[in-house]
Amino acid sequence: MHENETKPHETSPIEQANKLTIPGAIVIAGVLIAGALYFGSSAKSVATAGINNQPKQDVEQPTENLDQMKAISKDDHIRGNPDAPVKIVEYSDTECPFCKRFHDIMKQVMNEYGKDGKVAWVYRHFPLEQLHPVKARNEAIAFECAGELGGNDKFWEYADRLYEITPSNNGLDQAELPKIAKYVGLDVAKFNACLTSGKYDKHIEEDTQNAMATGGNGTPWSIVVGKDGKKYPLSGAQPYASIKQLIDLALQGK
Amino acid sequence: MLFQALQKVFRKPKYILLAFITSVVIFVFATWLPNIRLIATIIGSSDASFSQKLGIPISLLGSITTNFTVLSASYTVAIAILFGINIAMLVYFMKRKISEVKQSGTVTGFAGIASGILGIGCAACGSFLLTSGLTFVGVSGILVFLPLAGSEFGILGVILLLISIYLTAKQIENPAVCKT
Repeated sequence: MHENETKPHETSPIEQANKLTIPGAIVIAGVLIAGALYFGSSAKSVATAGINNQPKQDVEQPTENLDQMKAISKDDHIRGNPDAPVKIVEYSDTECPFCKRFHDIMKQVMNEYGKDGKVAWVYRHFPLEQLHPVKARNEAIAFECAGELGGNDKFWEYADRLYEITPSNNGLDQAELPKIAKYVGLDVAKFNACLTSGKYDKHIEEDTQNAMATGGNGTPWSIVVGKDGKKYPLSGAQPYASIKQLIDLALQGK
Repeated sequence: MLFQALQKVFRKPKYILLAFITSVVIFVFATWLPNIRLIATIIGSSDASFSQKLGIPISLLGSITTNFTVLSASYTVAIAILFGINIAMLVYFMKRKISEVKQSGTVTGFAGIASGILGIGCAACGSFLLTSGLTFVGVSGILVFLPLAGSEFGILGVILLLISIYLTAKQIENPAVCKT
């Protein structure tokens, strides 16, 4: 027998167990990954409790479905042509750094497609209580107050300014909220009264629930609605090149 | 010892190719993960041309610069590269039929990739994998107490993969049973 030949030997129970370690590890890793994917994408009742810290509901949540997106209406905050053939509905969290990044990407989209009235940007709220407690929801209310006091234009001016100055990750000093109101030309006293009134709590909760019902698991979560009504889900702050191609596809819908 | 083992494995081009392909697959998986539904919709769409079916998924790879922090992008790339190296070394090792050696490196390697995937899921706000997974076992609130909001899992993945590579290299350099 050659010197470097592997020694044939009888397999002991311990060695047999060792041999099973590789397939075992593969199976465990597979189960972990599959489990994470499954629960990450389909456990809606779980996500309801998890992301938003709301009490878990006894009734079964509807399966995530883009068709459950609340219809775009005059109550929405729309940038660009409301009758545009393509609409991008964004569910956003003001304290999420990726939403801040995506806000700039969407401004770029509107510069290219908004001027011709081809694309409209619809903004909805999706504050993630567990990651950005209190502040994200409060800032969503501030957006609504800006819209109430100054109309659609002030809503967007307020949003642009807040996304511009927030350091994200729950870092915005809440004293900035009335300052932004002043900056965009709103009545600060009325703004402050609105902010503490609680009148938009239900609206923000409805937006959040709608985001999750359509499959939103994180922010930014967007749905691109094509010319033919076909819906495309878009998760995260994706590059401009991807969104541009997606818009072009949505524009060509029959 | 590690360097010698790496040299031994990667002097054969097929192992370089295997490591490269594995790394690319892991990287693509990580960047596409949040948008699997979109990719499936586009590929299955009769409206989309062939170039769109190809172009949109490819452009989504660019999300490594927009949908990841510097930290999460770094460990995602590191996990992809280390996993590729790890797989190539394990295949080299198995081909030599050194079945008697301890399998701890393999276990650590798979634990590393599993942990890394949890970390990858944490890259976006809402950490859709981790939040949902942990919520299932009722401890999603743990995210609030993690200073890096879940990136710890990605870093743990890198560490486990490094340990796995080290253990595998050690086994390649010190085959356990050679008869004299």
